[in-house]
Amino acid sequence: MSAQAATSLPAPAARPAMVGAGIALAAAVVGIVIPFVFTSPVTLSLATQGLMNAILATSVGFLIRQLGFVSFGHATFFGMGAYATGLMLKHTGLPLEVIMPLAVLLPAAFAFVVGLVVVRVSGVAFSMLTLAIAQVFYEIVVKWRDFAGGDDGLSVNLPTRVFGLPTTLFQEPGDMFRIVWVTLVVILFLLFLLARSRFGRLCFAIKDNEERARFIGYRTLLPRAIVFAISAAIGGTGGVLFLLYNGFVSPDVLHWTMSGSALIMAIIGGAEFLIGPAIGAVVFLAAKDKLGDVTEHWQAIIGITLILVTVKWPHGLVGSVWHWTTRRGRGGRA
Amino acid sequence: MLMHILNGFVYGGLLYILSVGLVLIFGLRRVVNFAHGGLFMIGAYVGYAVAMHAGFFTGLAAAIAALAILGILLDIGVFRPLQRHDPLLTVLVTFGILLILEDLVRSVWGKDYVSVQVPQLLAGNVDFLGLQYPVYRLAVIALALITMGGLTLWLKRSAIGLHVRASSVDAVTTAMQGVNTDRVSATVVGIGAALAGMSGVVAGPLLTLSPSMGSYILVDCFIVVVVGGLGSFTGAFLAAMAIGQIHNFGIVYLPWAASSIPFLIMIGVLIWRPQGFAGGASS
Amino acid sequence: MNAPAMNKPALQGIGLSRHYGGFAALRGVDIAVPAGEIRGLIGPNGAGKSTLIDVLSGRANRWSGQVLMGGDDISRQSPQVRRRRGMARSFQRTSIFPNLTVREQLELASFQGDGGGVDEVLEQLHLDGFGRTPASELSYGDQRRLDLALALIGRPRVLLLDEPAAGLTVQESLDLARLLRDLVKSWGVTVLLVEHDMEVVFSICDRITVLHLGELLMEGTPDEVRKSPEVIRAYLGRAAH
Repeated sequence: MSAQAATSLPAPAARPAMVGAGIALAAAVVGIVIPFVFTSPVTLSLATQGLMNAILATSVGFLIRQLGFVSFGHATFFGMGAYATGLMLKHTGLPLEVIMPLAVLLPAAFAFVVGLVVVRVSGVAFSMLTLAIAQVFYEIVVKWRDFAGGDDGLSVNLPTRVFGLPTTLFQEPGDMFRIVWVTLVVILFLLFLLARSRFGRLCFAIKDNEERARFIGYRTLLPRAIVFAISAAIGGTGGVLFLLYNGFVSPDVLHWTMSGSALIMAIIGGAEFLIGPAIGAVVFLAAKDKLGDVTEHWQAIIGITLILVTVKWPHGLVGSVWHWTTRRGRGGRA
Repeated sequence: MLMHILNGFVYGGLLYILSVGLVLIFGLRRVVNFAHGGLFMIGAYVGYAVAMHAGFFTGLAAAIAALAILGILLDIGVFRPLQRHDPLLTVLVTFGILLILEDLVRSVWGKDYVSVQVPQLLAGNVDFLGLQYPVYRLAVIALALITMGGLTLWLKRSAIGLHVRASSVDAVTTAMQGVNTDRVSATVVGIGAALAGMSGVVAGPLLTLSPSMGSYILVDCFIVVVVGGLGSFTGAFLAAMAIGQIHNFGIVYLPWAASSIPFLIMIGVLIWRPQGFAGGASS
Repeated sequence: MNAPAMNKPALQGIGLSRHYGGFAALRGVDIAVPAGEIRGLIGPNGAGKSTLIDVLSGRANRWSGQVLMGGDDISRQSPQVRRRRGMARSFQRTSIFPNLTVREQLELASFQGDGGGVDEVLEQLHLDGFGRTPASELSYGDQRRLDLALALIGRPRVLLLDEPAAGLTVQESLDLARLLRDLVKSWGVTVLLVEHDMEVVFSICDRITVLHLGELLMEGTPDEVRKSPEVIRAYLGRAAH
């Protein structure tokens, strides 16, 4: 950084980033400790599933926050991550260490290519498209029995070790909880850094006023496609973890209701904030767990909640708390 | 071969009637009604329920009436209050409504598939261009053509039609002309919903009814509307027919890719014309 | 590549035409602005002034003709490439980034990575108290200046201004005009300025181009334009409708 910048601005990203890192570290430690305190495997298992959903919800929320686009089909990337892992395990001899990153890259690459076309349209058109993408993928997987097992799903055996650790870790609720928790914390921290970076600033600018962004000298297509790809990578990561945990994946993870739920979690929690969707996921699943036994009208309840939150509390839970405590609204800040 | 082509027109006809309703609603209210598939589904089930007691055509009439009312309520309750906000809010709310409608249908009729009988009057086959083809399907094609003709006439001749066309091009100025936009909108949305319902009832004997039928056809409807141009009525017709053919050929020759091909076409259209999506309107 | 040749105009449009629907917004307009000149662009409503700016800046589609900067043909270049080559513009309808702070957006616009020039511009445009303020919280007048600042930062070679004084009070407009003139003359920027406010135009422009119904009506010094019978007729003719 030049001397000019040093005298005219406070130290850029450095300090808040370090605070952020500190918080992330503390959060990670909390997550590692939790399974020692709450030992019930059922609870841990439920919580682990919840965290995987939180990762997907975070990917949806990130897209809303950074681009202003609402995706109705993000389960596609989650499913791609899961299916890619499973299919590569089943059909290729690649080691799991290689498969895992590839399975995250695949949805990202797909999203990038499709993104180049799709981010150019208006917000509503984008939403329609994402719904269509999700539906198409779902159909392909369901109908292509030979390849992906169709409705019956895909079941795989994990190799015994990965990165020098036994893969039984992935099946152990306590250990898996820690793994997914730490993954989520790392993802949130990286997104935090991204938002504060120059690239992140550019994306906020594009979201605010795409035309002016071009007229001040920036390409706007590539950054948006990249953000879409990052969002897909996050969703894909959730999917990879899902497969490793369950050893199994079925087309249900690609169904549009999965996308819809992730979206709703993001909105209930509040997409303005990085951590909002994750909180929304936790609340959503806790509620589902409690109410799910009581009622079969779960879908209607989601629908009603979505309507209420959209109309009455558009900032979601986290956002409402923030706005209430600070009495200042600035869209797009963590 | 001819049969496949005709089948393509049948599905295309259904898609057209459904999609043109979406286009009407968008033209007036500038919103994409994500609940549209749900309206289709409600129409199908209401038609089926009434038909069980009073015959197919009474069912059809009942569904159209019910959906018209539902549409008006939708306009008054959702579109009108949210019209000044970000259109995405309306999208989310209509999505919520779609979920509620699906739950409703599942509660009342269960989630198993339901089949509907072809009405007696239109049962059986007829000799058409050297082929034995079901009367009912020809009737569906005829209905689509009649709908298009009726809509075109209505848009060109009636006062409301003029308003709709004007609003499609420039909603703000049209609203300033002093016409009672709210009343016109409610009417048009009611018609759009009624069309969705009609499409649903008519689709009954052709597709099986299930609580997921709404979301299933919603995607094809979106594709039609994107490819045809969101503001364009003729576009919707041509696109629906094309998608109907492609979908059908897909099912016959490439089942696992049946949905993908229309989708790829949509992507192709968007590459070529990313803003063509808005038709004559600015978003 | 960077130093414009002394005899080539800094900004030039040749045979610029634009039609949409059946309407011809521009009909074969030629314009050439030498380096360092402040050129005014006036004309009655519907004359095609904004269209001309849009065509020159790369904002319009479906136009024909050629646009040159310093002798180089930039007709095919996108707005962001043009900006990087030194052509900046402001907007008639304020176009800023509401959710970014003033400083953040200016830093972004300076694309030098070290925020170079931001303080200078903030000071020149009287926005220095507002560095940390989100643009949405600024007054209309301040937002107009921010719109202008986004174009000025980085010292572009060619500046296209579309009614920068729109909506400003008389005093604000004159202040802006003076500010522009000082800045521009000290930087040696070439300016094409669309303005309805004749006070502003006549006070700072070196030469004025007059458009009428999409065509070039005349071009000359402020005095020549003020006295031109065709110009008077064009303006009065419209007013008499």
